[in-house]
Amino acid sequence: MNQSSSEPDSAAAANTGPAEIKDHLALIAEMTREFTATHTLDSVSMKALERITAFVGAEASSMFLLDADSGELVCNACFGPVNITGLRLPPGTGIVGRAVQQVQGQIIRDVRKDSDFGALVDAKTGFSTRSILVAPMALGSESLGAIEIINKTGGDGLFTRNDLMLLETLTRAAGLAVHNIRLAERIVERERERHELELAAEIQRDLLPAATSHDFPVHGINIPARAVSGDFYDIIPLADGRIWFSVGDVSGKGMNAALLMAKTTSLFRCLAKSAEHPGQLMGVINSELCETNSHGMFVTMVGGFFDPATGKMRLCNAGHEPPLVFDWAKQSFLPLPADTPPLGIAPDIMGHDGFPNIEINLRASSLYIFTDGLTEATTFGGGMLGIDGARALIREHAEESADLRLKSITGAVRVPGKSLHDDLTLLIVEDSGEPAPAPVEVAPGEDDVHEGVIARIRVPATPDRLKLIRASAEQAAVFCGADKAWTLDLVMAVDESCQNIIRHAYKGVPEPGDIVIDFVREGDSLAVLLMDFAEPVDPEKIKSRDLNDVQPGGLGVHLIKSVTDDARFMPPPAGVGNLFKLTKRLPAKVN
Amino acid sequence: MSFEVRQQDGVAVVGLTGDVDLQTSPTVRQKLLECLDKHPKLVVDMSNVAYIDSSGVASLVEAFQVSRKKGSDFSLAAVSPAAMRVLSLARLDKVFNIHADVNSAVAAKG
Repeated sequence: MNQSSSEPDSAAAANTGPAEIKDHLALIAEMTREFTATHTLDSVSMKALERITAFVGAEASSMFLLDADSGELVCNACFGPVNITGLRLPPGTGIVGRAVQQVQGQIIRDVRKDSDFGALVDAKTGFSTRSILVAPMALGSESLGAIEIINKTGGDGLFTRNDLMLLETLTRAAGLAVHNIRLAERIVERERERHELELAAEIQRDLLPAATSHDFPVHGINIPARAVSGDFYDIIPLADGRIWFSVGDVSGKGMNAALLMAKTTSLFRCLAKSAEHPGQLMGVINSELCETNSHGMFVTMVGGFFDPATGKMRLCNAGHEPPLVFDWAKQSFLPLPADTPPLGIAPDIMGHDGFPNIEINLRASSLYIFTDGLTEATTFGGGMLGIDGARALIREHAEESADLRLKSITGAVRVPGKSLHDDLTLLIVEDSGEPAPAPVEVAPGEDDVHEGVIARIRVPATPDRLKLIRASAEQAAVFCGADKAWTLDLVMAVDESCQNIIRHAYKGVPEPGDIVIDFVREGDSLAVLLMDFAEPVDPEKIKSRDLNDVQPGGLGVHLIKSVTDDARFMPPPAGVGNLFKLTKRLPAKVN
Repeated sequence: MSFEVRQQDGVAVVGLTGDVDLQTSPTVRQKLLECLDKHPKLVVDMSNVAYIDSSGVASLVEAFQVSRKKGSDFSLAAVSPAAMRVLSLARLDKVFNIHADVNSAVAAKG
């Protein structure tokens, strides 16, 4: 701190005798001790101002601290007849402002001669300022504020260089105290934040599903790069045996990504239990995320369900890295399409079609869903793992149990002692138990009643027989012990299938033939085989209608697919025109 | 399948009874369109419809579309859970104006 004066005057440099030096040292020692030991500035500041004002022999004094946000000087303590605590001076205002800006002590013996003197405070308070002594408070290059003493009364009534030197020394000690206290506050704040982050991480870990047993078909792992993660996965077993799963990645990292992750995974968990299919679920999550502003963040996500009883899987990929299906026997990968945008960008982003589903049979295969934390991870060799690297790792560890595979694959990209630079999540879905018996592909002939047949009905293919057909379907379901809702859905599927035979297969035929319907118990499912004797139809021409396009007609196929586990044309036996097979798993309590 | 029209507070209430399927839906469609020609405010009482199939839903959709073009008021009342299942699978439960019962449907047309 350069000591100078705006009024250089040799008379200011008064001689300092040994007794005075002794007094100065005693005061400095005392105040320095107090300042360095304190954790609260205010009481110590008050005391220091009082002591120094008395020591120098002046009317008043005040301490100003710099507000880092506004650049203003704020009075945090004062001593004297007028209380100006809380007074804010705009940057560079007055003599105090000049001292702080120039980092230079100021001795002003007559404020009237100083153009920077602002009489405003005096006007407000009624106090009359005659002379001012200011020492700036700084630590290194950082300005902290200043201490000023007003109206010297002792001695000849003029502030001296010795007074300034003393004030500067005390101000330096006060500056250290301010610095220490702020540092301590910052440490406390950081500790509090760290504790909050730990709590958030703990809650987030609880949002992830518990580890699944080794014979369960779905296994997952999540390794956050920081305390909290923007990645997530979930595994939700349903009462009917199906298992919903999801893997997602929120754009961005840290606490805001973690909060969006929590929202998305909660939506998924809540909605999956009642969702019709993954595409519909993704559509709902998308609109929910779009409803609240996510500040430019979005979510890439794969969600779907797997039915271990049939090996069938339906999933929807919203902008996520394409999952890999690994065929154990062929040792090859099946690529899954991925050209759907992420969630949370625009509510109508998929237009009228909604998010598309992908259907695959997972028999003798494993599905790997992962976040870019895997493919973009650095390997031991230093390069990025990439999709080829991921495939190589999956091949390399294919023989291991799913649990071990999760650890082996993620372990391969974790350099010991180094944290990941992105969250890493990996989910494996695969058949765990014995392969289920292959679905009956050989259809019965028209005249030969298939094993397990509960009932057969043969009626003319005319609308007036539909009520009879519905009654048969209802009774077949009741015979299997199905509940009301299940029965209703089966009746709907059978009715709609028969409508298609009447309206499409026998279309334009002057004298329509018959419909033969077999209700067959197949394991834990009820199969319905519908046979007609018309010309074979092209299944491609019978498509589910666009649901958002409100037009009459074309709804039947959608209804059939919605309420059954499988509905497809099969190779018809000799003498039969078309064979359409519905399969619907019986409710859990029946099985 | 039976079809009856009555007046309630200036609103035509169409009572359907029976299954609305491929057999009966052409009649339902025709009757609904006729009613829309005569009445600007129409409530379809579905309380006695135990089953409705896709062709029945199509008749309702067509009537709904015609009512929109005419600027008339068309709503469904007392839809059974079975019929509601079909409407929701078809994602039409949000398209139609559906009331819990006939009285509230009529009252809503004030």
